[in-house]
Amino acid sequence: MLDELTRPLRVSADLQHEVEQFLYLEAALLDERRLREWLDLLADDIEYTLDTNSLAQFRDRRRGWAPPTTYIFHEDKYQLERRVARVETGQAWAEEPASRTRHFVTNVRVLAQADDELVVGCNYLVHRASKAHDHHSFIGTRRDTLRRIAAADGGETFTIARRRLELDEFTLMSANVSIIL
Amino acid sequence: MDDDQIRSLVDSRNGTVKPAIYSDAQLYELELERVFGRTWLFLAHESQIPNPGDFFNTFMGEDPVLVVRQKDGSVQVMMNQCRHRGMKLCHADSGNTKAFTCPYHGWAYQVDGALQSVPLEKEAYRGKLDKSKWGLIKAPRVESYKGLIFANWDESAPDLVTYLGDMAWYLDGFLDRREGGTEVVGGVHKWMIDCNWKFAAEQFCSDQYHAPYTHASAIQVLAPTPQNKPDGSPLGDGQTERPAWANGLGGVQFAGKGHGSAFFFTENADANVWVGGEVSAYFRETYPEAEARLGKVRALRLAGHNTMFPTLSWLNGTQTLRVWHPRGPGRIEVWVFCIADKAAPPEVKEALKKSHARAFGPAGFLEQDDSENWIEVQKVLRGHKARQTDFCMQMGLGFEERREDGIPGITNGTFAETAARGFYQRWVDLMTGKSWNEIEAAGAAWEQEVIDA
Repeated sequence: MLDELTRPLRVSADLQHEVEQFLYLEAALLDERRLREWLDLLADDIEYTLDTNSLAQFRDRRRGWAPPTTYIFHEDKYQLERRVARVETGQAWAEEPASRTRHFVTNVRVLAQADDELVVGCNYLVHRASKAHDHHSFIGTRRDTLRRIAAADGGETFTIARRRLELDEFTLMSANVSIIL
Repeated sequence: MDDDQIRSLVDSRNGTVKPAIYSDAQLYELELERVFGRTWLFLAHESQIPNPGDFFNTFMGEDPVLVVRQKDGSVQVMMNQCRHRGMKLCHADSGNTKAFTCPYHGWAYQVDGALQSVPLEKEAYRGKLDKSKWGLIKAPRVESYKGLIFANWDESAPDLVTYLGDMAWYLDGFLDRREGGTEVVGGVHKWMIDCNWKFAAEQFCSDQYHAPYTHASAIQVLAPTPQNKPDGSPLGDGQTERPAWANGLGGVQFAGKGHGSAFFFTENADANVWVGGEVSAYFRETYPEAEARLGKVRALRLAGHNTMFPTLSWLNGTQTLRVWHPRGPGRIEVWVFCIADKAAPPEVKEALKKSHARAFGPAGFLEQDDSENWIEVQKVLRGHKARQTDFCMQMGLGFEERREDGIPGITNGTFAETAARGFYQRWVDLMTGKSWNEIEAAGAAWEQEVIDA
C-alpha cells in the first residue's frame, strides 16, 4: 500500500481537523460499543478489506513475486451489519462477556482529493481486553476513502466509502478477530 | 510416565479421558516423538509447488521442514535446519530457488538437500570435509494422495492408503468431486490459539454436537430469513433453509484408525447457511458430475467435519482444510487452506475465497466461537483438581454399527463420540510405543469390540 506522494499534500488546517475529528468520532463509537451508530457512518457501497501478509525471499521479491495472501475481511455493508447482529445475540462467545477496546488513530494524512472524496491514510493500534486476563493488540495501517455527504442537520459530514486495512503480523498472535478494527 | 500410566488416562471402552493428556509437558514431549514422529502428516498441496525449485515452508510437529519440487517432478521433504549449527535455512513462506543458503556461515544446499558448497572449504576445512555426509536430513517417506502431500519420519509406518483405511472414502468426497482434482485458492491463514492440539483435532474428528450451541449466533444471523435480509434477497441462492442438523433426515459419524468424520443426509446439493451464495450455486450446478464420480451420498455431502489422525482437518462445503501444528501442551499454530475444484471458474474461486474467510478465517463468523471454547478449557486445566477430573466421552456408547448401504467403517449417529473414542484409543496405542503391526492389530480389535458390544 505505497503512496505516490513524495511530499505532503497541501490541505487546510480546517480540513485536516475535520478529517481527524471524524476518525476520532468513529473510534469512539466502536470503543463505546455504539455499533449501530458506527454502521450509520458507512456508505451503502462500502468495501471493508484486510488481507493476510506473506514472507517472501529476496530472490522472489526482486522479480516482483510474493507468496499468495488471502482475505481476513472482505466485507460489504450487509456483512458488516451481520457481524454487529451476531454480537447482539449474546451468543457470540468470543465477545461474551463483552470485551473492551481502545482504537488509536495516528499519522493522519490526506493522500488525495477528488470531487467529493478524500483518500486518508493513517496508522492504527487497537487494544482489546477480554475475559479476565487477556490482552491483544492489533497494529497496522489503513487507507480510507471518505465521501462528503449532506448531514441530517443540514451541514456536511463524511461517510466511509472504502477501508483498506493492513495488519502488520505475519502469523496472528490472537486466536480470533472478533472486533471491528 | 510409563505405559501403564499412559493407558490409565484413556478409557475408550467406557468413554472417559483424564484431561492431563491436554496439559502435561512430559506427555507432550512424548507426543513429538511417538505421535508426530511416526504418523503421516499433511504438509502442502501439489498446486502450491508446481515447478522445479518451488518450495513450501512448513512443519512436521515442531520440526521445520521444506517441501521442495525436484527437477524430475518428485517432491522431497527436508529439515529446514543447517547441518553446521542448526540455523533455520529459509524464512520465506514459499518461493522458488536454486539453492538453500544458510544465513549464518553460508553453507549452501541443492534443492534435493545435498550439501553443495561450504565457504572457505579449502582454507578452513583443509579440504577434509566430506560434504556427501552433511546433506539436509530428509523425511524417508513422502506420498501424495489426490493432490495432498504427506510425509512420515517412520520407515516402518504403513503406506498412506493403508494408514487412511476407510477414511480415504470420506477424503475422496472432498478431493474428487470433479475431473482435474483440487487446488489451493489464495494464501494460508496462520494464527495462534492457546490450547492443546487434541481439542481442535478431536472436535473436527467427532464433535458435531457442539455446532448448534457454539455456533448459535452465526446460525441466527445468517439464516436466510426476511428478518436477516429485509430487502428480500437471500444470502445465497443455493443455501439450505436451515442447518443440516435440523432437517430431520439423520446422518452418520464414522470412526476408524483414529480418524473421524460426520455429516447429515440431505435431499439437495445445498451448502450450509454460512457458505456464500455463488459457491452454493456452483455446487448445485456441478452436482451431476459429482454424483457420477462419487455416488449420491458423497456428492450431496456439502457439510460436516473430518479429521485424519493426528492433525489434518477439513469441512466439506466450506472447503476449509487445516493443520493444527502443536506448539507445546497449551498452544497450537493453525494453518488454514481454502480448497477449490481446479475446474471451477475463476469467479467461483474468488467467491469461495471470500466465503471461506468469512466463515472460517480468523475473523470468521464461526471460527471465532471454536477457538474461544478451546482456550477457556485449557485455562481451567491449570488447576490441579481440574486435571484429575474425568471428562465424559460416552455419547452413543454401544450404538455403533456397520452399515449395509455402502458407507464404510464403524459408524454411529451423527451426534456421537465414537470417533473421539477411536481417536484417543489410537493416541494411546501410539504413545505406549507399540510397533505399527501392533497398532494396526489393536485398532482392528477395538473396532470388533465396539461392534460386538
